[in-house]
Amino acid sequence: MSARDSNAVPNGLVGRRQAALLRLTTAIAAAKDEHEVYQSIVDGLHDEALGYNFLGVFLVEPESGDRVLQASVGWEDVPTDMHVHSGEGLSEEAIRDGKLHYTADVTKASRYFASLASGSEVDVPLRMDGETIGVLVVESSEPDAFGEDDFEILTAAATQASIAVGRARLLAAERQRAAEFEALIETMGIMSSELELTKVLQAVIARAVALLRASGGEVAILEPETNELVVLASENIGKDSVGTRIAIGEGAMGTVAETMEPVIIPSYHEWLGQSPKYSDITVHSVMAAPLLIGKRLVGAIAIVHSDPERLFNKEEDLRLLRSFAPQAAIAIENAGLYTAAQRQKQYFEQVVVNSPVAIVTLDPEHNIVDANPAFQTLFGFSEEDSVGHNLDELITTEESRKDAVQYTTQALDSPIRGIGRRKRKDGSWVDVEILGVPVLVDGERVGLMGMYHDITELLEARREAEAANTAKSQFLANMSHELRTPLNAIIGYSEMIQEEVEELGHDEISKDLQKVHTAGRHLLSLINDILDLSKIEAGKMEFHIETFSVHSMIQNVLDTTEPLVKTNRNTRVLEMPDDLGDMRSDLTKVRQMLLNLMSNACKFTEDGTITLTVEPDEHAQGRFIVFSISDTGLGMTPEQMANLFEEFTQADSSTSARFGGTGLGLAITRRFCHMMGGDVQVKSKPGEGSTFSIRLPQSIDELATEPPGAQGGGQK
Amino acid sequence: MMPKILLVEDNEMNRDMLSRRLERKGYEVAIAVDGAEGVEKAKSGEFDLVLMDMSLPEIDGWEATRQVRAHPGAEKLPIIALTAHAMAGDREKALEAGCDDYDTKPVEFKRLLGKIEALLNADA
Repeated sequence: MSARDSNAVPNGLVGRRQAALLRLTTAIAAAKDEHEVYQSIVDGLHDEALGYNFLGVFLVEPESGDRVLQASVGWEDVPTDMHVHSGEGLSEEAIRDGKLHYTADVTKASRYFASLASGSEVDVPLRMDGETIGVLVVESSEPDAFGEDDFEILTAAATQASIAVGRARLLAAERQRAAEFEALIETMGIMSSELELTKVLQAVIARAVALLRASGGEVAILEPETNELVVLASENIGKDSVGTRIAIGEGAMGTVAETMEPVIIPSYHEWLGQSPKYSDITVHSVMAAPLLIGKRLVGAIAIVHSDPERLFNKEEDLRLLRSFAPQAAIAIENAGLYTAAQRQKQYFEQVVVNSPVAIVTLDPEHNIVDANPAFQTLFGFSEEDSVGHNLDELITTEESRKDAVQYTTQALDSPIRGIGRRKRKDGSWVDVEILGVPVLVDGERVGLMGMYHDITELLEARREAEAANTAKSQFLANMSHELRTPLNAIIGYSEMIQEEVEELGHDEISKDLQKVHTAGRHLLSLINDILDLSKIEAGKMEFHIETFSVHSMIQNVLDTTEPLVKTNRNTRVLEMPDDLGDMRSDLTKVRQMLLNLMSNACKFTEDGTITLTVEPDEHAQGRFIVFSISDTGLGMTPEQMANLFEEFTQADSSTSARFGGTGLGLAITRRFCHMMGGDVQVKSKPGEGSTFSIRLPQSIDELATEPPGAQGGGQK
Repeated sequence: MMPKILLVEDNEMNRDMLSRRLERKGYEVAIAVDGAEGVEKAKSGEFDLVLMDMSLPEIDGWEATRQVRAHPGAEKLPIIALTAHAMAGDREKALEAGCDDYDTKPVEFKRLLGKIEALLNADA
C-alpha cells in the first residue's frame, strides 16, 4: 500500500503533475529527432517537488537485448550510451511484460542496479506498434515516494513519448530515403554526363559506402571473354584492389556471382569462402550483392566494415545495397554498349583508313570533308590539298567535269555506279570505277560518299584477254582455211575419179571412192562447225538479211536431204500451208539449221517417218514461223535432253561413237536462233521419237531488240 | 563449138582437178595462175566465161574482176567467183566487184555446172 494515495496528496501536487505533463508535451512537440524526444521526456518530467529526481529513457537493442540509455537527468557519472545488460536492473520487468512496475524500496530489490543508497523506482514501458521498445525509469531518493496519480501521469507521459518516438523515426526514415534518392540522382547524373565506367562505378561505391556508413567497398564487372570478375572501383578497403581478378565462386563477390543472391558475412576472416586475395586486409564483415540486368550477371558489389563492432543489418542495409545494385548494373551495361558502339565506330574508321579503295566524303556542296589515304595515294592530293575543296574541280578537267558533276549530284539522292577517267594531281589520267552513295544520318541527307577503284590494270587485262581471244579466233579461222585446202583436193579428186570409174564400169572401186568422198564431206562439215562456233565466240558471226521465199528454201532443204532420208529407209512428210509468203532473215543460216536438224532426224531414225512442219505463229511479240522436224526414232530421256544444246555434247558419249558428229550442230543452232531473235526447243520421249522446233521471226527487222546486223551480232 | 572457160586459180591441185572435170564435160579450159595473168587473158575476148578464185596472190580476185569489168568489151563477160571462205560478206563483195555469181570451194561440181550453164544460156 502506498503511503501517498491520491487523496492524501495536496492540491499543489496535482497542479505540478499536470504542469510536468504539459511541459513534456510542449517539449516533445518541439523535438526535431528521436534523441530530442527522449531528452524532452526526461527534462519535462523532471520535478524535485514531485520526487521525480532521476529520470532515464532506455531503448532495447534488438541484436543484444541490452537496454541502452538514450537520455537522462539527475544521474551523475553515467555514460551517454550506458548499456544495461539483460538480467540486470529493475527496469527489465517492464520490458518483459510491457506493464508498469513500481518498487517502493529499492534497497529491498535484489536486482537493483545499485546507484542510490535508498529510494523508490517506477518503470514504465515504452510501447510502439504492440511491442515494447524501451523503458522510462523514474527514481526518487525517498522510499515509497509514488502513488496512483504518479503512475497515471507517467503512463500518459510514456504513451505520448511513444507516439513522439514513432513520429520521429518515421521522419528519420523519410529523411534517409530523401538522402538516398538524392544520392541516386547524383549517381545517375554522373552516369549520363560521363560514360566512363570506372568513374561511374567509383562514384556508385563511394555513395554506397557513405550511405551505409560502412568503411569501404568495391565493384567488379564480369568480363564475358574470361567469365571472371574484374574489380574496377575500390573505395577504402585497405588496399588498391582495382584490377583484381576473381573467379566465379571465389570470395564474397565470386559467391554472389555464382548464387545470384546477396550475402552477408559477419566475420570475413573466419569465413571458409574467403579469397586469399583479400587475406591481407582488415575487413571484419562483408555484404555483397550480384549486379544483374534482368537475370544476366554483369558484375558484383561488396561493402565492408573494418570495425568489428559494426554488423550489417539484414533488412535496412541490404535494402540500401539492393537499391544501389541496379544503378551500378545499368552503368556497366550502358558503358558496355557505349564501348561496343565506340569499337564499331573505330572498326569502320579503320576499314576506311586501310581500304585499298579510294574513299572520299563530301558535304552537300560537293566539298571534300574527308579523304582516306588510298584516295590521297590514287590521286596524289594530300589531305591539305583535298579537304575543303570541290571534288569535281579537283580531279577532272574542263571536258570531263560535266559528266563528273552529274555523278556527284545524282549520288546525293541515290547510289550511282559508273566507269570514268579522272585526273591526278600531276595531270596524268587514271581509269576508275566510280561508286557514289548518299550519306544519311537519322534519315537526314548530310552529304555523299564517293569510292574510286583504280581499274587501269583491269582494263589492261581485259584488253589483253580480248586480244588473246581474237588471236584464238583468228587462229581457228586460219587453221580451218588451211585444213580446207587439202580437203578440197580430197573431196574434188575422189568425186572426179568416181565419175571416171563409173564411166569405165568399175563399180567396186566406185563404192570405196564414195566412202572417201563422204568422209571428206563430213570432215568439212566439222571444220565448218568449229569455224562457226569460233566466230560466234569471237562475236564475229555476221548475218546477211535478205528476203526469200519460204517455199523455195524448204524445197531446197528437201532436195538436199533427200539422199539422207533414203539412207535409213525413212519416209519424209511435209506439212506446210501454201500462203506462207516471204521471210526476211539470214537464208544461209536458216537453211543450215534446218539441214542440221533434218540430218540428225535421218541419222537417228530407221524405217520411220520424218515430218517437216512449217506453220505461222503470230502473237504480241510479232509474226514468227515455226519449223518443226519430228522423227519416229530413238527418242531421248530427260537426262539426255538436259545438255543437248551445250557445246560438244550429244545425248550420251556412245552416241558419237555410233552416229558421229561433233556435238556442235545443236549448240550452233541454238546460238543462231537466239541471235536471230528466236529459239529452239525439243520434245522427246525414249522410243517415241523427237521433235525439234525452231521458231524465228518472219521478218528480223521487226524485232524490237537490236537486230544482229552485218556489224556482227555476236554475244555482247 | 564448146564454150571456152578461163579458170583463174593459184592452187595447182584445184586447178588440175577442176579443169579436168570441166574438160570431161566437154568445155575448153584455159588456165591463169594469178590475178594479173587472169586479167590479161580475160581481156583477150577469147573466153565465154571466167571462174575466178578470190584469194589470189598479187592481185586478188575482187580486184581482178574490177579490172576485167573496166575493160571495154568485157563488161558482160560472165564471171563466177570461187572462194574458200564461206565467210559472210564474201558473196556481197564478189557481186559488188562485178561477179555474176558465186560458189564456195570445195565446189559441189553439179551445182557449179548448173551455175555455169545458166550463165552461158542467159548469155546466148
